Amino acid sequence: MGLFNKRTVMRRYFSVFFCLLPFAAGGQVVVDKPLSARLTGYDINVVLDPEEHTLSGQMTAFWVNHSSAPVSEAMMHMYLNAFSSNKSTFNAKGRWSAAGDNGWGWVKVNSVDDGNGNNLLDSLRYVSPDDGNINDRTVMRVGLPGAVEPGDTLTLNIGFVSKLPSPIVRTGYVDDFHFVAQWFPKFGVYETAGMRQRETDGWNCHQFHPNSEFYSNHSVYNVSVTLPTDFVTGSGGMLIEEIDLGEGLKKVVWRAEDIVDFAWTAWPGYKVLTRKWNNVDVTLLTSAAGLKKADNQFKAVMYALDYLGEKVGPYPWPHLTFVDPPVSGAGAGGMEYTTLFTSMGGGVVPSFLKMAEMVTIHEFGHAYFMGILASNEFEEPWVDEGINSYWEQRIVDHYYGDGYGLLNLPFLKMSDADQGRLSYITSPGHNIATNDLPSWMYPHNTYSTMSYSKAATWLHTLEGIIGTKTMDNVFREYYRRWAFRHPSGKDFIAVVDDVVRREHGNKYGENMNWFFDQVLYGSGICDYRLTGITSNKIRSYSGVVEGDSVTYTRSDRSSDTLYLSRVSIERLGEVKLPVDVLIRFDNGDEILEKWDGIAGYRDFEYTGTGKVIWAKIDPYDKIDMDVNRINNSYTLEQNFTATRRMMNKFVLLMQMMISIFTL
Amino acid sequence: MSLFKTLKKGAVNAASSYKLILFIWCTTLVITLAVAYPLKTSFNMIFGNSMAIGRLSDGFDIGIAGDIGRPFGALIASVSAASLLLGTVGFFIMTFYAGGLFRRFTLAWGRLRVSDFLRASAGNFIPFLKIALLMMLIIGAYTFALIGLPVIINMAISGSQMPTGKIMYLFFALWALGLPVWLFVSDASRRWIAATGSKKVFRALGAGFRALRERFWLSYLTVLAVLVINAMFIALLLWFAASAIPDRGIMVFLFFVAIQSLFIIRLFMKAWRYAAVCESVQ
Repeated sequence: MGLFNKRTVMRRYFSVFFCLLPFAAGGQVVVDKPLSARLTGYDINVVLDPEEHTLSGQMTAFWVNHSSAPVSEAMMHMYLNAFSSNKSTFNAKGRWSAAGDNGWGWVKVNSVDDGNGNNLLDSLRYVSPDDGNINDRTVMRVGLPGAVEPGDTLTLNIGFVSKLPSPIVRTGYVDDFHFVAQWFPKFGVYETAGMRQRETDGWNCHQFHPNSEFYSNHSVYNVSVTLPTDFVTGSGGMLIEEIDLGEGLKKVVWRAEDIVDFAWTAWPGYKVLTRKWNNVDVTLLTSAAGLKKADNQFKAVMYALDYLGEKVGPYPWPHLTFVDPPVSGAGAGGMEYTTLFTSMGGGVVPSFLKMAEMVTIHEFGHAYFMGILASNEFEEPWVDEGINSYWEQRIVDHYYGDGYGLLNLPFLKMSDADQGRLSYITSPGHNIATNDLPSWMYPHNTYSTMSYSKAATWLHTLEGIIGTKTMDNVFREYYRRWAFRHPSGKDFIAVVDDVVRREHGNKYGENMNWFFDQVLYGSGICDYRLTGITSNKIRSYSGVVEGDSVTYTRSDRSSDTLYLSRVSIERLGEVKLPVDVLIRFDNGDEILEKWDGIAGYRDFEYTGTGKVIWAKIDPYDKIDMDVNRINNSYTLEQNFTATRRMMNKFVLLMQMMISIFTL
Repeated sequence: MSLFKTLKKGAVNAASSYKLILFIWCTTLVITLAVAYPLKTSFNMIFGNSMAIGRLSDGFDIGIAGDIGRPFGALIASVSAASLLLGTVGFFIMTFYAGGLFRRFTLAWGRLRVSDFLRASAGNFIPFLKIALLMMLIIGAYTFALIGLPVIINMAISGSQMPTGKIMYLFFALWALGLPVWLFVSDASRRWIAATGSKKVFRALGAGFRALRERFWLSYLTVLAVLVINAMFIALLLWFAASAIPDRGIMVFLFFVAIQSLFIIRLFMKAWRYAAVCESVQ
């Protein structure tokens, strides 16, 4: 690094330090030391009007120019405007409609200045970098009177009013239930050249889309909300104080550090429960109906805390709040805001189905995959949702149901990993697009199939190939390198390459591109088939050689009969992955073959005293990507006991139905 | 007549009708096998020589559904349609046979040949069908009043919350306690038709209600006792059938014999209710 760069970096650090002073006046409140660079921060003071469902107030926001060039504009999320009309990008395809005239949601800036007396209100413009939709007002450009020099800080004082939408989709209100997310003007991410493989500096600030909404800096939040005293509240911050203002009002003050978004909720009907996990206060806000499932919900969170803490890295905050919304507010369920997340259905889902636990674990997992490892959900949703789904499946299947995490009844079973795989392999569009498209570019409604299910499925496949231990080390290294930064998919792949090379040398080649090129950047499917097995007796020599008739007598033969056995396998899909083939002979011998899976077919031949009785491709179910496992095996001794038993039970069930439902 | 004597005589009468019960069992087995056998064949064809069939060995692993692919959707549709069809056909058949059984239990000499049984079933079918439909309508309304309405009111009061446990347990208990009344009226009405040979449905229902009023506690407790024993038996039977996992050919056959034997007992217990009600009214 040259002298100039050193100076620049030093100046930047000093600037950041001084700029942070006003926000860190109370010292480190939540964590012992800053976890991130804290390039942005927000002091917000609002009043909730529960009748009009509005939030009005002031905020002071700062952004530090950490690049090496002056910046003359700022870009901000104005995501509540996604609900301001039916022509917004979010709503253009009829995804949501307002519940009456008071159902629309919006955020309006009343005043804005840069702290030096410069009124910037006239410089505000709405832009639509993703689709050019002139009716979309979810990204705001703030023109600055002068450029922000490298290392300097931009401070904006903004007066704003936010109106929550109804019905709730992620954010909004129903009656007196309020879930407040994406509610204030928030800076986009200013990316420097090289960051996430970017070629030039610039703002990364996407519109609010139906399928993605997260990419922000790790920030410090000081948030004060004034609201009626009967409202029970919770947020992604640590509660600093609750002040009784008289006249039925109170002020709630929270502080959050190093999180990418700040959301909160208020509802008079909440029941609040708190448990301790190590040094973390875990708080659940639930409805009366959800109380009976509270223990299950806490258990799920703590399983996830244990598992991810051990396999990936520590959960660094001393607080965590999660919400099981009432049925009327179910639209807020299944969302993630790092130190605040929402589950769903705790009160209504039967306990044998671990759906609520699955959602709880998934949404908590986002504290890691999106929160700590703050990838860009808009551009690479698989890095967020796919990786998180993979870990959710591992956790659910580890802790529940002896491997059948979602459902483990005597007659019906399902693992969470299979649920994801099922969603991928049964989707009609599972092979029409690659896995690396931006969230709003997936064709044929394949977003969730590709971002969640396919990515989780190929991550399980990667684990099957490189081993669970190596996979865990990949994520530990990913966390070590990229915690509280903004990794891209390629950064994750680089970690995989490094860890695999470190642990396995060149066993899998120079790098793992052969894998990622197929499963991530390719759209092909993986399907291997065991075509058949044959075993033919090797006959004694009998025939004519050079005019003489030659016949061996029985005594010339070996006492054991020899067989030539053949196992034939094919690759039906485009994806070429190394597979194991387990072959069993009738004398008890077993052979485990390895095949690179590249050619279109392969025959394994054996000469010996045993006949092949069965063979299995991928006997240990490592290759989850294989879209059809029924054709992975072949046996000459088929046993239909299972279907006979199943049919016996079906017959009884039908007989019982007939006898019970007639008088 | 005391409750114990009623139940005992009812049980003896039901047991002595074993041929008729076996006849009914045969019919249910034939119609369910007509659906189940093609289903089993379909599954066997799908798996062919694949060892993936092992994933059905410890209950049905839903994960296999994706591997089966489109045929699975067709199978599920077939099973659903077949279940609906079986339910409808089964309802008519059981209503039909109830005519013969009630005739058997109202006869003083207590014997009925199969041909007579079928003749009596045919003769009583239409009025029995009308009574069955009417009583199912009444029981449906009763269920809505005691379970459906509280759920709706609860959800309205608590802001769309699902009802909480205790209050719904109370309503369910009330519903269960009231159910024997309707079953008794249904059985006593059918007994009246079988005994008198009349086809007048509403007069039969009137007779059913009258019989209930005349000996309320004996009538009510008779049906309640048989229902409680039936419910426990059904729960045990379903638990056994769901959790048993025979893994060899002969064991699967024995499992089939066992569950069918238990189902015959279940049919006997249903006949016991009919017979006990007939005894309590006489």
